[in-house]
Amino acid sequence: MIVEAGQLALTFAFALAVLLAILPLYGSFVANKPMLLLAKPLAFGQFFFCLLAMLALIYAFRTNDFSVINVAQNSSSTLPWYYQITASFGSHEGSMLLWVLMLAGWTALVAQFSKALPLQLHGRILGILGLINVGFVAFSLIMSNPFERSLPFFPVEGRDLNPLLQDFGMILHPPTLYMGYVGFAVAFAFAIAALMGGRFDSVWARWVRPWALAAWLFLTLGIMLGSWWAYNELGWGGWWFWDPVENASFMPWLAGTALIHSLAVTEKRGTFKSWTVLLALAAFALSLVGAFLVRSGVLVSVHSFATDPGRGLYLLVFLLLVVGGSLLLYGIRMNAVRSQARYQLFSREMMLWGNNIFLLTACLIVFLGTLFPLFHKELGLGTISIGEPFFNQMFYYLTIPFALLLGLAPWVRWKQQQLLPLIKPFSLIAIASLMLALGVMASMQSVQANLGLLGLLLGAWVGISALAEVMLRLRQFGSVSAGISKLNASHYGMTLAHIGFAVLVVGVAMTKTYTVERDVRMQEGDSTSVAGYEFTLTDVYDLNGPNYGGQAAELDVSKDGGYVTHLHAEKRFYRIQRTIMTESAVHARLSRDLYVSLGEELPGNAWALRIQVKPFVRWIWLGGVLMSLGALLALADKRYRRKSSVAKQEVANA
Amino acid sequence: MRKLFFYAPLALFLLLALFLLSGLFSDPRERASATLNKSLPAFALADLMQPQHIWTAEQLKGETFLLNVWGTWCPTCNAELGYLTELRQQGVKIVGLYYELPRDPAFDAPFNLQTLQQDVSQKLAQHGDPYQFNILDLQRSLSLDLGVSGAPETFIIDAQGIIRLHHIGDINSQVWRSKLAPSYQQWSQP
Repeated sequence: MIVEAGQLALTFAFALAVLLAILPLYGSFVANKPMLLLAKPLAFGQFFFCLLAMLALIYAFRTNDFSVINVAQNSSSTLPWYYQITASFGSHEGSMLLWVLMLAGWTALVAQFSKALPLQLHGRILGILGLINVGFVAFSLIMSNPFERSLPFFPVEGRDLNPLLQDFGMILHPPTLYMGYVGFAVAFAFAIAALMGGRFDSVWARWVRPWALAAWLFLTLGIMLGSWWAYNELGWGGWWFWDPVENASFMPWLAGTALIHSLAVTEKRGTFKSWTVLLALAAFALSLVGAFLVRSGVLVSVHSFATDPGRGLYLLVFLLLVVGGSLLLYGIRMNAVRSQARYQLFSREMMLWGNNIFLLTACLIVFLGTLFPLFHKELGLGTISIGEPFFNQMFYYLTIPFALLLGLAPWVRWKQQQLLPLIKPFSLIAIASLMLALGVMASMQSVQANLGLLGLLLGAWVGISALAEVMLRLRQFGSVSAGISKLNASHYGMTLAHIGFAVLVVGVAMTKTYTVERDVRMQEGDSTSVAGYEFTLTDVYDLNGPNYGGQAAELDVSKDGGYVTHLHAEKRFYRIQRTIMTESAVHARLSRDLYVSLGEELPGNAWALRIQVKPFVRWIWLGGVLMSLGALLALADKRYRRKSSVAKQEVANA
Repeated sequence: MRKLFFYAPLALFLLLALFLLSGLFSDPRERASATLNKSLPAFALADLMQPQHIWTAEQLKGETFLLNVWGTWCPTCNAELGYLTELRQQGVKIVGLYYELPRDPAFDAPFNLQTLQQDVSQKLAQHGDPYQFNILDLQRSLSLDLGVSGAPETFIIDAQGIIRLHHIGDINSQVWRSKLAPSYQQWSQP
């Protein structure tokens, strides 16, 4: 009954999305105020019904209603309650409903928080979001219905959730990632509305910026959580695999990062307009391409959902309509737009242009690396595969100039910058970073010219320069203490995000260079020494979990005779899906992780263990957290909440 | 000229869509075999049951046959033994290439031919014996040369010793009828 109510709610949501897609858009062209005013209640109504549908699905999972195919295939009565809830978005159908809910949520947020927008633009943006909603709700209803029943014959027990997904990361990763993916729909809608109306000035950019930042914040967090999850759950200590689906999330992130920088130029200087609009279109288009790649089965990946060419075809047609349509509109309308701002070669504009070039090159590399095997095969040239070495090498070459530029750019003024005044501070920064990098390295191990040193140098360069730049700005207010409250929140946000990047670079370089990995055979009582740490296997015993069995190992770790920690690693056997999962034991510190995973039982009462010491690996995710916090700070900037004069005027006229 | 420039993203996107469309209708797991229509790579490997006999590529010429890569450790291989035995009864010549798993000297017991022979005999007695004989690929050298990605895999090799078909996965009546039988019949014509 509840499940049918969920189906009905989703159908209502579809009807409201259709109305939202038609009425306000039509109203915006014929200047019909009542139609435009309908946009907001329609958006709320649609979100309400999507929420009901999601709740109904969660209800079906919680009550073990195995007559629903989706529940029978992705849950079981022995699954802990929190995973029963997350299992509701563990399958293709369920995750599509989550996607729809997120999209409806963003639409409702735009309806609520864009009061400052002129009514016509407000209605138009919501109408465009309504169009996108129609496409996805219809996809969920027709092509992948999460509520489908298998009556009259249904199983008495479900097939359980894929054990890989039975992890804390599953609770957080998909919702945040989807919030990010779908969030770029808002910037996309703003761009389309601007293309329709022909208005892309600083005011427009100021309206889009917080939405783009919010989507970017979620996407950054989502990707970071995914990386952290893979590290914990897959059992071999990797944090990024250049898997097609990871790349599918990385491409919109790169385009989105370029977008938030390009928006800064459009807001402050009223230029880079065609770039900014194209990036706003591209960020969402890449999200859609990503969704297509994951759900159509065109590429092989560990993340792929069960494949169905019908679904792929639907998504491809939708992609053609949305992306093809918007790019056509872009082609038609954009050549009328002229940027008139003038700037010198050495200016903030050029620095941000460089940023965009690097980010888009990175995006292109990921794009080609991911899709080149497909192109190659479809052209009849045979099958090839592109793997980690290609991406790693390319990103190595890209990161060096990118980080150097990033250290320099915030110091450079808009329009034009004299070279001479920058020479002194940057010489100091260069010397300071050299000393810091060498100092850190000397305190850890012997100084060597390797990737680790390069990472430390680049990280120090970016970090010190970002901090020094904030100090400089603060001093410009008279005194540092007086300036602290006067400097924009978005400036602090930028600095924090740049420091986050520096931390990330250090983390990646140090982990890559100094990870020590050993596969060992151990009996109870055996000790082995890895990178100065002494690991002693104290106990191995059988596990008895709610839906899994297996073994657990207890280890004591000491260093130079002093006790460091106790580790608990598990090897679980999930009974229903008959899969073995590794639950690694991780002892995390800012400077290093101790990582132990339990392997096979060996003859002679012994066990295979993989022991790793990974310096600075936490810095990778810490960098991601700092970047997200930076975006959050920037969002808090007061100027995004100021009412524009246009809206004020409209209110006065009304 | 400047006008056309703004249509470039659209053109690139449409090109991409074209590739995605064609990708939709092809199997991403399908791999072109690099050894197709080439001679069986040279090898000299011992017979599994009579290790004093050494098989070479030259000795296998003269008749079209199926080369089936398998191992007792592989459940799918065991599952297809029954159907392969039926094929043998219909007169199809099948040669086994026994794929021995790599051993880690630190963890695994050393290789013992007798244990393996017992293991194989037991499995073949249980599920049926489709093989004329088995070649033991202890170092997996021939499998590597053939581009084997796992077990079971099956090659059709014609009388001149040229590889005509590479099938990844198990063989059942459906796969045999639709994929392997036509090729087998084509190449076994004198």
